[in-house]
Amino acid sequence: MLKLKTEVLQLDSATTEARITRFITDYIEKSEATGVVLNISGGVDSCTTAALSSLALGGSKVLGIFLPEEETYDTDDTKHTKMVAEKFGFSLETIDISSVLEVCYHSLPVYEERDKVSKGNLKARMRMVFLYYYANRLNRIVCGSSDKSETMIGYFTKWGDVAADISPLMDLYKTQVRQLALHIGIPEEIARKPSTPRLWPGQLAEHELGIKYETLDLILFGLERFMTPEEIAEQLKLPVKRVEEVKRKWLATEHKRRGPLTAKLAYRTVGADFRIPYTTQ
Amino acid sequence: MPRRINIAVAQINCRVGHKKRNIDLMKKHAKQAKEKGADLVVFPELSLTGYLTRDLTYNLAEKIPGPSVDSLEQVAEKENLHMVFGMLEHSDKARGVIYNTAVLLGPKGFVGKYRKLQLPTHSVFEEKRYFRPGYQLPVFETDIGRLGLTICYDMFFPEISRLLRLKGAQLIICISASPAVRRKFFEVFTAARAIENTVFLAYANLVGIEDGLQFWGGSRIVAPSGHIIAQAKYDEEDLVTGEVDYSDLKRIETFVPTLRDLRPEFFDSLKTHTEDL
Repeated sequence: MLKLKTEVLQLDSATTEARITRFITDYIEKSEATGVVLNISGGVDSCTTAALSSLALGGSKVLGIFLPEEETYDTDDTKHTKMVAEKFGFSLETIDISSVLEVCYHSLPVYEERDKVSKGNLKARMRMVFLYYYANRLNRIVCGSSDKSETMIGYFTKWGDVAADISPLMDLYKTQVRQLALHIGIPEEIARKPSTPRLWPGQLAEHELGIKYETLDLILFGLERFMTPEEIAEQLKLPVKRVEEVKRKWLATEHKRRGPLTAKLAYRTVGADFRIPYTTQ
Repeated sequence: MPRRINIAVAQINCRVGHKKRNIDLMKKHAKQAKEKGADLVVFPELSLTGYLTRDLTYNLAEKIPGPSVDSLEQVAEKENLHMVFGMLEHSDKARGVIYNTAVLLGPKGFVGKYRKLQLPTHSVFEEKRYFRPGYQLPVFETDIGRLGLTICYDMFFPEISRLLRLKGAQLIICISASPAVRRKFFEVFTAARAIENTVFLAYANLVGIEDGLQFWGGSRIVAPSGHIIAQAKYDEEDLVTGEVDYSDLKRIETFVPTLRDLRPEFFDSLKTHTEDL
């Protein structure tokens, strides 16, 4: 039986770097865009995505947009975004979105300060709005930085941080992103810092999820390979309930990973049986 | 029948749905192959249209012979070489019946075709959604030897190469659209099919990216001993040539006598157990 050990997540980082940079370059060339814009938060995923984009396209074709807001402002994030932008030579723009968010809160008749999830999702979606405005203005595409761990369990904002034209890291688990980050020269203090979506003060991903990424990634790796929760739990010496909870999160959040579900009414249907390749005409 | 031939494997980066561009690319590489002394140039699976054509398949398919085959026949004639390439073929009798086909052209025109037997429909592959499988496995007697054609996933089924060899093939040609995650499989299969059948094998794989799927290239010409006669680069367009000397077959057949040692009684058992799977 497949052994769920840390080694199964060991990445061939050089090959992965080559595949991802080729993927980015190829998409930009075929889409005839002039480059990428991306949200850089100071975390490992976005710093790695920005660095890989820069390695693929050259820094002049990469714009990292840092979009802090007052509730979750963190000086380390500011320092880290600058550090990576300087090292990999891409442009960096900082826009404080606090005032725009304030306007939104006050424009919403049903706004509720205590509902931190709805409020947090608004922040993630606001960042998406800024990114796509820049992409339109500059004839660029939005490059996402979601990883596989968070995407699989639905730990993201629908139409928010996950919204992008391409997602080069989406097939890498968080622990693999960290390996790749170190391989391409992302400083250790960024590669190893605790992940946070920065949707509300003090939010830390592993605390909120109640599980370490090292364990979560092995559970997801097992589920990806059709192992049962019992088999995974036995190998990782975890309660079956814990693994089942991860599986439930994965399956219950499929709606977040797809386009809208369509009622099948006609001959060929968008989102169902239209299967059109990405290609230039 | 020549004793020696020179083979070129041309791994090209096709553009999905752009037949004219892809024909131009094949023209350019055929010329290059001829300049390197090739008698035969092999292009990847579905090199006329790109691999992941999805619903565009129905409008990109052509009859064989048809306009694209006509264009490429002119190339083979002009360059005075044989060519193998891949295309979407629709049936004469039913426009919606489509095959994933390998076409063999010679300096005097169309020689023959092979319709893919094994259609992968798992993981990222959805060939059975679009294609009807072929039912024939011909060996072509040509001026450059007895040639058998296969396509990509066929390599996973040793009985296909074995049958071609038993029908007299000296050279098995495999055209492929293999993504990078399957590289290790094909590196093993291409050598294994050559060794177990004591036959030469020419493998041409796509390069480039279609819908996020990266093709790894690594096209190769393999001797019956498993020796790699020529190998193209990974991941980028390339054309390599290598010489095949059919007189080596006798020596290898003696050293590794797999054909002598074949046991036909197991084949009946294989059939029974496959039906009962």
